[in-house]
Amino acid sequence: MSQKDTHTKLDHQLYDENHQATKDHPWIFRTYGGHTNAQATNELFRSGLEKGQTGLSIAFDLPTQCGYSSEHSLAKPEIGKVGVPINSLDDFHVLFEQIPIEKMNTSMTINGTSMWLLALYIALGRERGVDISLLQGTTQNDIVKEYLARGTYIFPPEHSLRIIAEMYEYCLENIPKWNASNICSYHLQEAGATPAQELAFALANAIGILDLIKERGLFDQEQFERVVGRISFFVNAGIRFIEETCKMRAFNELWEEITRERYGVQNPKFRRFRYGVQVNSLGLTESQPENNAWRILIEALGVTLSRNARCRALQLPAWNEALSLPRPWDQQWSLRLQQILAYETDLLEYPDIFEGSKVISSKVEELKTQAKAEIDKILEMGGVRSAVESGYMKSALVKSMSERMSRINDGEQIVVGLNKWTEAIPSPLLQGEDGGIFKVDAKSAAWTLEQLEATKQKRDSDRAEKALAELKKAAQEGKNMMEASIECALARVTTGEWADALREIFGEYRPVTGIEGQKLQLENERVSALRQRNDEFEKKHGHRARIVVGKPGLDGHSNGAEVIAVSARHTGFDVIYSGIRLTPEEIVQSAVEESADIIGVSILSGSHLELADQIIAQLKSAGAFEHIPVVFGGIIPKEDEKVLLEKGIQKVFTPADFELIDIMEQIMNIVESGKKIAA
Amino acid sequence: MKTLIEKALEQDKFSIARLITLFEDTRSETALQRAEAMKKIKASPLARSGIFLGFTGTPGAGKSSLIGEIAPRLIQTESKLSVAVLAVDPSSEVSGGALLGDRTRVRFPLSETRLFFRSQSSAGALGGISPTTFQVCRLLHYLFDFIIIETVGIGQNEIEIKNLADEVFLILQPMAGDQIQFMKAGIMEIPHAFVMNKCDETKAARQSYHALKASLAFVRPAENEIKILQTSVRTGFGLDDFVSELLSSRERSHSSLHEKEVHFFRQWVKEEYGRWGLQFLKEKMGGAAALMQITQSFDQAQIKFIHSFLNE
Repeated sequence: MSQKDTHTKLDHQLYDENHQATKDHPWIFRTYGGHTNAQATNELFRSGLEKGQTGLSIAFDLPTQCGYSSEHSLAKPEIGKVGVPINSLDDFHVLFEQIPIEKMNTSMTINGTSMWLLALYIALGRERGVDISLLQGTTQNDIVKEYLARGTYIFPPEHSLRIIAEMYEYCLENIPKWNASNICSYHLQEAGATPAQELAFALANAIGILDLIKERGLFDQEQFERVVGRISFFVNAGIRFIEETCKMRAFNELWEEITRERYGVQNPKFRRFRYGVQVNSLGLTESQPENNAWRILIEALGVTLSRNARCRALQLPAWNEALSLPRPWDQQWSLRLQQILAYETDLLEYPDIFEGSKVISSKVEELKTQAKAEIDKILEMGGVRSAVESGYMKSALVKSMSERMSRINDGEQIVVGLNKWTEAIPSPLLQGEDGGIFKVDAKSAAWTLEQLEATKQKRDSDRAEKALAELKKAAQEGKNMMEASIECALARVTTGEWADALREIFGEYRPVTGIEGQKLQLENERVSALRQRNDEFEKKHGHRARIVVGKPGLDGHSNGAEVIAVSARHTGFDVIYSGIRLTPEEIVQSAVEESADIIGVSILSGSHLELADQIIAQLKSAGAFEHIPVVFGGIIPKEDEKVLLEKGIQKVFTPADFELIDIMEQIMNIVESGKKIAA
Repeated sequence: MKTLIEKALEQDKFSIARLITLFEDTRSETALQRAEAMKKIKASPLARSGIFLGFTGTPGAGKSSLIGEIAPRLIQTESKLSVAVLAVDPSSEVSGGALLGDRTRVRFPLSETRLFFRSQSSAGALGGISPTTFQVCRLLHYLFDFIIIETVGIGQNEIEIKNLADEVFLILQPMAGDQIQFMKAGIMEIPHAFVMNKCDETKAARQSYHALKASLAFVRPAENEIKILQTSVRTGFGLDDFVSELLSSRERSHSSLHEKEVHFFRQWVKEEYGRWGLQFLKEKMGGAAALMQITQSFDQAQIKFIHSFLNE
């Protein structure tokens, strides 16, 4: 007789393979982190691990993400700002000091330079004498969402997709537990995607990659099934947490269908939808920031409550993310939330608690139907690459985002503390000495630059040159570039050199913007009044008010700038949109040549002070500073706002200024008063 | 202190930009300022005599990217040669505003004073250029050696560019339309030469090239050799040939700026004062050419016309 009869099993009890009552292991607790330099980030990691964090999640600075060494002029204002700068293998040795990488699960938020960072990780393992087949982790490496939302792409789609495919091909037999890429729906939601769009775009993206790998034909069916099993996803969870639970169940079911029907995967293990989560940052507010703590908690529930759709790894933003980068304490607070949820509550003791719910299954069906229709549409267009290149996906996201903004503007979508119940007692959390925010020590960049210089001095330059030549050769001849990249890493080639070598062969990507043909869903008296003001301005000054909208620096979150550009046209401005990743010189040149009436600059990277200095200096040298006012928008701390105004920036908009029509009216005020002075 | 005009003639960007704003100014009372500026510019030994090149073609044909590659190559051929680009984008019917996005695709080397880029809204006009495009062009004529005008590129009715540009280039992409489409299009009759862009996708490019050649034999049978250039921004293919073609335009004869002024003066009267205005111009003022002859200045002619017309 077996020990236990199935009769005695309880519906609410979890059992293991031996029919013993059990409970689930918790998901992996991650904290997204990295700043200043490799040394400081190493300390951060080690203290996080001591506090019970169970995986690493590395944030790299923008130059590293965009393939520039710290010494490059585009890189200098950004060193260590939003993540750790990595210039060579020497930096990796410092970053992972006293951390046993063979025992870690390491997630790297890296895309354009993902192959390079993986090569560095493998090279680190080789120099340490670690068996590299033990390495576990993820390179984010999802280029589609970079084109759509995040902006740290380097090469055109064709070549970027080849890099992704080659990484899968390399990893499968060499580091079988590595996720070569992570299909991200996270950033799509941040860019405004609806749940159905999030499902459809992410799944179409995964199909694109698997189709490509299949087409390249380097794997037999058995290997291919294992590749399918390596596809993992990085998902967002928003505040509508019931719908989000349903979205996760829909993801599960759709992925099961796709892998079975489209790819004929037999082994159910390889059909499982594997995903990690970072909960939503878009909905976090700058006003009454303490409320974000509750939002984060609720959003975490959406991806943990349903056992069948529970995430495998979770990272939570910090309550003050809309204000600045989090401090270690803020991150610890978010980690504690996860620990309480997993260890104090009874969450992990039950089977799926939604099984049998008519409500849930009906909602899941609805999402699936909508998502399938959208997937079919994309596949008909020729797949995800065509849908990106034609601008279709980008436009769809910009449209959803402007609809969302309009709903918040109209009060139809309530955001507590933002458009309702805005009166509040000042938050004591912001009263500390540091004002509740994190600042990178400006001098810390010096360490990074010295380290880079030392590496270049010490290295065998013949070996480095030879390694780069081999890399270019592999790129040209269509050979897998992983080994060549690992040799580059070992030869102390720098991040900028690696990327430049491939830029030479592949060229650089210039994006389609999502703004053409978009309309803002906003029609009211204030909009018509502003249009009228614009018409009157033209009568009075002989031309329409001209605004240059641009985004300096390497930070590529273009949506804010695009929404402003669309709103400005919608309210009657002539908008010169000059795109993203611009140098201050380029923005000023646009404004000067266009004889603009105002410049609107969007900045999220934290480099606003440096950029203000550079823009103002450029305007002065062109003789245009007196003529062209400048306004800034982005995540800018209160105290910096004052400094910016003193420097000569006319106005600073922050996430607290969410009403587009307010922003537009204020811009018009500045344009008009500027003309009064000039007249 | 140097004047705005002196600085503009020395290629100071912001001064040029502000002069353009004066020439784009839609208020008739600023005509006098334009007349004075024009007089000074024409009298300067630094004044140039630029040639107008029209770039037209449907959206997606890669006009902006092509200009982004061609203009820097043009200035490299001669040490003092200068190029201005005027790019026209459509305006919104609802708000009157416009999104001028061509700069995204044209990134000129910074601080290169011999290259200048300006965006213009079509301001509701349908002919592919804006009502003030000509105004700006006649200014740029004296400030740059080549003026490239990029039209809106909406469709097949962009014939106004013919009256403005000395030479028109129709930019096409492979498979933009089959033979019949090519023949139907009225715009096929305008261009000085055709540019088959995006010729990196070879098979489609070859097919389209031959389709175009065949259509031209039909549409323009009287001309024996109409140029079809092939280019690819991605690979650099054909760009140098295209540059040579543009440079050689200086050796061909074109209508004078004066003749263009006569045409666009008539256009201006039509836009501002309608048929009645045109009738007045013809009957009471002896027509645009005669008026221009008397005043010797586009702006003075405008002032005189407005004065007479309003006193009638």
